[in-house]
Amino acid sequence: MMTSFLLRKATPLALLAGLGLTACQPDLEGDFSPSNGGVDFSNYIAVGNSLTAGFSDGGLYLTGQQQSYPALLAQQFKTVGGGEFVQPLFNVANQQNGSGYLRLAGFTAAGSPITASVATNLALRQGATATRPLYTKFTDPVNNLGVPGIRLSDVETAGYGSVLGNPYFERISPDNSNQTYLARVTASNPTFFTNWLGNNDVLGYATAGGAASFLTPTADFTAKNAKIIDALTAKGAKGVVATIPDVTNIPFFTTVGPSFRATLEAAKVPAIVVTTGGFSGTPGAPPTRKVIPVNTIRNANGSSGNQLFTLTSSPYLPLFGMPNKGKAWRDVYNQAKPSLPAFVTLGLFLQLQGVDTVQAFGATAAHPFPSTLVLDDAEQVLVKDATTAFNNSIKAKAAEKGLGVFDANTFFAQVASNGIVTNGISNTAGFITGNLFSLDGVHPTPRGYAIVANEMIKVINSTYGAKVPTVNPNDYQGVKFP
Amino acid sequence: MKFKSLLLAGSALLTGTAASAGGYQVTLAGQKNNGMGGVGVGLSLDQAAMFYNPGALAMVKDRGIHLGANGTFARNSFVAEGGNQQRELRNTVTTPFGLFAAFGPSEGKFRAGIGVYTPFGSKLQYADGWEGRTALTDIDLKSVFVQPTFSYAITDKLSVGAGVVVLALGSVNLQRDIPLPDSFGHIELDGKAETKLGYNVGVFFKPSDKLSVGLNYRSKIDAEVKNGDVTFTGINSPVFQPRFQEGTKFAATLPLIATTSIGIGIMPNENLTIGLDASLANWSAYKTLRFDFTKPVNGADFSESRREYEDALTFRLGAQYKLTSGLTVRAGGSYDESPVKDGFVTPETPDNDRLAGTLGASYSFGKFGVDLSGQYIGIKKRTQTQAELINNGTTDRIAGTYKTNVVVAGLGLNYTF
Repeated sequence: MMTSFLLRKATPLALLAGLGLTACQPDLEGDFSPSNGGVDFSNYIAVGNSLTAGFSDGGLYLTGQQQSYPALLAQQFKTVGGGEFVQPLFNVANQQNGSGYLRLAGFTAAGSPITASVATNLALRQGATATRPLYTKFTDPVNNLGVPGIRLSDVETAGYGSVLGNPYFERISPDNSNQTYLARVTASNPTFFTNWLGNNDVLGYATAGGAASFLTPTADFTAKNAKIIDALTAKGAKGVVATIPDVTNIPFFTTVGPSFRATLEAAKVPAIVVTTGGFSGTPGAPPTRKVIPVNTIRNANGSSGNQLFTLTSSPYLPLFGMPNKGKAWRDVYNQAKPSLPAFVTLGLFLQLQGVDTVQAFGATAAHPFPSTLVLDDAEQVLVKDATTAFNNSIKAKAAEKGLGVFDANTFFAQVASNGIVTNGISNTAGFITGNLFSLDGVHPTPRGYAIVANEMIKVINSTYGAKVPTVNPNDYQGVKFP
Repeated sequence: MKFKSLLLAGSALLTGTAASAGGYQVTLAGQKNNGMGGVGVGLSLDQAAMFYNPGALAMVKDRGIHLGANGTFARNSFVAEGGNQQRELRNTVTTPFGLFAAFGPSEGKFRAGIGVYTPFGSKLQYADGWEGRTALTDIDLKSVFVQPTFSYAITDKLSVGAGVVVLALGSVNLQRDIPLPDSFGHIELDGKAETKLGYNVGVFFKPSDKLSVGLNYRSKIDAEVKNGDVTFTGINSPVFQPRFQEGTKFAATLPLIATTSIGIGIMPNENLTIGLDASLANWSAYKTLRFDFTKPVNGADFSESRREYEDALTFRLGAQYKLTSGLTVRAGGSYDESPVKDGFVTPETPDNDRLAGTLGASYSFGKFGVDLSGQYIGIKKRTQTQAELINNGTTDRIAGTYKTNVVVAGLGLNYTF
């Protein structure tokens, strides 16, 4: 009774207080209003490779494109005068899966992830073959010039945008065009740009375990980097360049080795045998064998060991020590076959490599792990030296032009050792559970790309005195679970 | 009075808010005091003295009942570090209240009474999808203390008093989002506090008609939830469901901290009363917020988050002036140090030093009286950076800038026997 009386009395009072409340709401927006720092963001051009295109989960598909770091940057630039940002998006209606990609299908009883290929609603066009895909063309002018697979060493290659070149560059090039990537960049006429080229100049060699591809010579890298930057800045555009992360920190190299080491140690295996370098085409000169003591395989936190197993080695590792398990070498042969002379049969190939698959797999010089599955310490030195040299070129050229530098190498090294917390959520460089790297173990997830975008925004703000707002990385997901 | 039935009838009112005093302390017990910047330790205004200083109760001439309730309207804005989007609370009104009744012989040396009040509480509901969602989405912390009190005048200048403080009702409801790799789940912790006892003691000394001095100590009570319910929602992947099991219970302890206060009353003439209070709140008892779970939650059977509060001082100043025989007007202000250190601010208490201004008025119709009070509390803008959080190991919360303003309107009714 007392209560209802009180409420009746209090109601008009509460209403009165309510009137004053609009004035009561604190206003912080004025403290954080965006500004461009004198940078003209009206025509932002993103130059780069798969990372710039939004490649994720081993493929380029619509969702990844929509959450590419350039798309996120352009979205934030809109608060400070940014213009339209066109990406060569795959058709949402029936081609949204683009090149196809990997999805997480489940886990084995032991907790290992099972991936499956998404191969429906691809953006393939007529004339595509299994070994040479051709994607649905997108020939409108685009702001995102990210081309998966492109190396800096490719930028002056005529025909790179032809049907015999890079299918992603071909896709955005006019029909029968002979335009080089450098010419395309020159014609893009940016007012602001980001450039993150050069990863593939080390990555292809590294992910092949040093068995294939090549490291771009530093002189070639330096010259072509200078040409790209000169082209982008020819009309006074400002921009940010990114360095090349040390690839040995990515889950592609850090995921399967530690558990394999633990298995071997439990079985008291002292050492394993691998081949190192490329495969042999010369009779009597098989690839060099390398004995790897088990305690030199990198462990989970990186505190011990430095021999790295690739993510792609995981199906073969359980075959260790078993005789008559020729799967690893058979797969190497099948992969190499298109580039081998027709007369090289599987038998001849194995003979050239000095491999006898009857022997215990991985345990003997007669049947070693193929080099493609291991990035050994010597190969890592080559990768590291190249990365350092390339990054020095990138930084020197940026300094010459007064550009901002996102030191992705330093940044990802820190993430690899400490993780990164985004608005209360912990993220690490761990495979699948870390939120940052997608199922291919190399390319970021949308969360990872959002963090990249934020790091670039910080560089833009500090270099140019701008106040471009960052995104909330937690609005972007990590690996999608079944 | 049937306090139990009153308690039940008033259950809609049983809630506090982060309205006044640092942390989650709420000092809105008496409406007259509210109008005077919250002073009261050195004064003997009415039966609400039971809260401010039980020692002063014996000096309150009138026997009677004081019932007051407040509407508190907190308005909070937040901008995450690096962002520009202002987040605002889903606004709520909370209603801290106080009920004080005192009895005793008209000319006797003692007063006995009972007080029911809400000294701690907090209710905040953050915007959907806000940046700090994994730290907190909603909190509703309530406490109701019941305090039987006895006060005795040793001489006509000196009186003492003590109350047994019963944490009669206490509840916590804390909700946050669970970060999953590709989505967010939600966890709700809901529990009732065990009944616990504490005490409230005071000394009151009035050497002359123009001066009074008071000392008060309110003890700490640990609000302890033993078998709270844990509810998970929005965990859709069968991969994660086993990590968040139904029927999980939690235990937690939240210190309702001790406060030591000194107050002075100055009465230059019989119409003017000026009060000055200083309080020390022992917030340093609040080191961590820990939840223990009966079944592992995402692989861990407890969660712990650093608070590391520091003891904090509050200064209050207020005055009342009796304009006519019926009408009394009041004004006051307070400065309240935050117990929360830099880099330790959490969304449950987006706290900082507070500055408050208050106004009040009473009208007396003989035995019956009405009090009105209004307060505006500005909590200073507070920014904490991610770098500070990393340094302190407190990255479970969020970097950014908070600003809160609170308006409190109060209504009190008095009846003198």
